[in-house]
Amino acid sequence: MTPTNRPMAQRCAVHQQRPAFAVCMQCTKSLCQECATQWDGIWYCAACLAVRRAGPVKRSRAGGWIAVIAASIVILFFSTRLMVWAGVLLAGLR
Amino acid sequence: MIRAPLSTTSVLDESASIVRATASPWVGLLLVTSLPYRFMQAVFADRLLELGSTASQYGDALRTTADLTCAAFLLSLWGRAVYARACRLTSASGAAPGREALRVPLAALASYIFTASIAESVTYMLFITVAGIAVGAILSGLAIGTMELNDRPGVMAPLRLLSRYGNQTRIVVALSFVFLCGFVIAALNVAALFAGCLALVSTIGGWDASRWHILLSFSNRRYILMVIAGALLVVEPFWIAANVLLVRKAGVAESGDDLRLWFEELKQS
Repeated sequence: MTPTNRPMAQRCAVHQQRPAFAVCMQCTKSLCQECATQWDGIWYCAACLAVRRAGPVKRSRAGGWIAVIAASIVILFFSTRLMVWAGVLLAGLR
Repeated sequence: MIRAPLSTTSVLDESASIVRATASPWVGLLLVTSLPYRFMQAVFADRLLELGSTASQYGDALRTTADLTCAAFLLSLWGRAVYARACRLTSASGAAPGREALRVPLAALASYIFTASIAESVTYMLFITVAGIAVGAILSGLAIGTMELNDRPGVMAPLRLLSRYGNQTRIVVALSFVFLCGFVIAALNVAALFAGCLALVSTIGGWDASRWHILLSFSNRRYILMVIAGALLVVEPFWIAANVLLVRKAGVAESGDDLRLWFEELKQS
């Protein structure tokens, strides 16, 4: 998203005295240069950016828990099988 | 308690101080939680030696023992995690921690269970080769050393940490060699302790310990297995403390905190 092409009459939603520079892609508020922040090439206001940044972290934690627990269970299961397999192999060599 | 730049000798020196500081009660907790695991490993090895070439016909029985060993392994991982945290807190403050050591972050514990399971699997997979045991021990050491650096649960981050600190190849290999020698000496000491106790009981106590002389001799494979398990238990606290310190020292060197500590010491002196 590039800065807005709307007429300069548009004012910043936070600072009424300042001309609009960009539009938040989340809440569509007009923003001045100070209030607009570009993240991943898209303009956001401070509030929407905070929500945006908090969201993926929460999701990744749940995903991380599921991944690490599932991986541990699978590896522990195979580890016991490997223990038996290695033991039988070694015992057979005697 | 970080007193010197990262080197094998500084890690060993400082880990000895940490083990001394954390001996009560954290080394005790480590030993109590590791004991069932080492015992089950000895039982498993004993059954294999007893069955010999017919072991493949007793898969179910062996699998049951392996499952019990796995359960004991999980308990020992918790004990190791608490002890590693106690070591880290001691190295940070210089004093033995209180109940704070028990508060192991869940994300760190989950990541540690994951990496320790990988180390365990690698050990069993490559058990037939001596190098496999060494690789498994190194992985297991790095897993406990990097445990507390995992602030979020995940699969890739703990592995990245293992490879990052595994890059200290020279020190990691040197530590493994030192601990191999330490293990042999510990095994000799455990055997000497049994022999000494037996001699004291039969001479000073005046008990007829002839049966015990047969049981506690190297002709009895169960005794050999117990000596090996005992030696592993003796070496384990030092191994964990050394790995925690290795990771901490390597991290301090990377972040430049060692220079900050050095300047503070210079200002104080």
